[in-house]
Amino acid sequence: MPREAEPSLNERQFVLQALRENLRLDGRPFDKYRPVELIFGEQYGVVEVSFGKTKILAKTSAELTVPYVDRPLDGIFTIATELSPMTAPSFEVNRPTETEVLLSRLLEKTVRRSGALDTESLCLVAGQKCWSVRVDVHVLSHDGDLTDAACLAVVAALRHFRKPDTSIEGGLLTVYTPAEREPVPLSWLHSPFCVTWSFYGDQGEMALLDATLSEEHVRVGSCTISMNRHGEICQIAKLGGTPVDAVALLQCTNVALVKVKDFSAFLDRKLAEDAKRRDKGGLMAELSAENDR
Amino acid sequence: MPLDTSAYSLALLRVDGRRWNELRRIHAQIRTQAAADGSSYLEMGHTKVMCVVTGPSEPGPKRGGMTGGVGGGGGERSSTADVSVSVVIAGFSSVDRKRRGRGDKRTLELQSTISSALAASLHTHLHPNSTIAISLHVLSQDGSLLAALINAATLACIDAGIPMTDYVVACTAGSTSTYAANDEGADPLLDMNHQEEQELPSLTVATLGSSDRVAVLVCESRVQVSRLEGMLAVGVDGCKQVREILDRVVREKGRRMIQEGTIEKGMSLDDMDID
Repeated sequence: MPREAEPSLNERQFVLQALRENLRLDGRPFDKYRPVELIFGEQYGVVEVSFGKTKILAKTSAELTVPYVDRPLDGIFTIATELSPMTAPSFEVNRPTETEVLLSRLLEKTVRRSGALDTESLCLVAGQKCWSVRVDVHVLSHDGDLTDAACLAVVAALRHFRKPDTSIEGGLLTVYTPAEREPVPLSWLHSPFCVTWSFYGDQGEMALLDATLSEEHVRVGSCTISMNRHGEICQIAKLGGTPVDAVALLQCTNVALVKVKDFSAFLDRKLAEDAKRRDKGGLMAELSAENDR
Repeated sequence: MPLDTSAYSLALLRVDGRRWNELRRIHAQIRTQAAADGSSYLEMGHTKVMCVVTGPSEPGPKRGGMTGGVGGGGGERSSTADVSVSVVIAGFSSVDRKRRGRGDKRTLELQSTISSALAASLHTHLHPNSTIAISLHVLSQDGSLLAALINAATLACIDAGIPMTDYVVACTAGSTSTYAANDEGADPLLDMNHQEEQELPSLTVATLGSSDRVAVLVCESRVQVSRLEGMLAVGVDGCKQVREILDRVVREKGRRMIQEGTIEKGMSLDDMDID
């Protein structure tokens, strides 16, 4: 099993000493993200997110299946994460590393368990037909802070996605092709975003946002906070590491709320831009089968 | 399963008759397995877990079958001891018998959390090139599972005599409000049982000893950010209570070992500083 290359003692001390002098290697303030880029693909539900050199591709797809026997009224929603050897040689196919397990658990808790997607709306015929929505997350390049980038990618991909329109008449289910009817968006309830803090120092007294890979190597602990812009915490995960003062964690949460509001506004703006780009000739309003509620 | 916790506001009593700031009964034993380096058994209410610690010992032979050679341990030399945790959740531990495979992500997350929380408090640098294997068995589940596992692992590590800075103690805290309701009158709750965990927002806190420093903070339910401060305060306070209880167990066991003569002769009870 190939192991991840650990930073040398020199590198380690250099990063830590710089942090003690309130400096980061790329010159950012402690609570600032790297430039966030978000590009939607030609297809609906494909999005590429990059935080500096970290790059993530998320693709949403939907297919018709039979719902689970124990939940006949719910559709199926899965998030699949993949860290391939392309990302780093230490990742292997079909053998999830700890990073991958924790990443997929975090996404699961943030997006799925917090009820961001209304799975009941994915059910077409109770117990017989439902949509199975699947988001595939591919990490193309790993330079730290995978969680925040992956979460933004998943939320963006799901909000951008359109599933084929359907109708039921006399017990007959019809699925329309995009040519017949404009595909419809998923029923989306709230948009959670992850904010990850990395802690440094003997008591974990220094907290950094959006750590790069070299910073992640030398951190003594981390805490991922997921929230939506209404100030609802969806999940908090400080999974071990050096103990950090409780008051400092509360402060981290408050800063996280500000960052989440930024993310939310950023994504709304990007989605609006993309909708405008696709709406050639302003025909979208007429083509859409959606009703204003 | 919808459950009626709305009765709380009437009598301020929870479903099992506790007040908001009361822990469930904690019963703990250490040195339960004679053959193990360290072992413990812990009950928090109806959550029952067992823990066995092996080590610090030389890491076992690698799968590659490398024998001999420099370093002995397959070329992997580390300056600190490796804390490896395995959690086995018995099929009969909860009401519905759920089959959990080895690769269950929830279990893997529990393992990695416990391992990383303990590694920060154990003096692992004193045992280079060695492994501390912590094996946890869940016999019965009734909420606060992660907290019980952390407490049991701490006790077993103390029994194994592994040097550590302080106890890592954990408990859960919750709130009586649902996520949507932003009512200011919501009370924080201490030590959630399974029913409450299903129904109400809750979080698990682990602190280092009786300090305010949080080693583990896990919240898996939706809750207003304004609720967090109250829940965290109650949780940290609960951890202090848990530490007292665990400390009493360790001291009591130590006292008995001296009386029974497990500890070498020439040391009387009066010579030792056990307050």
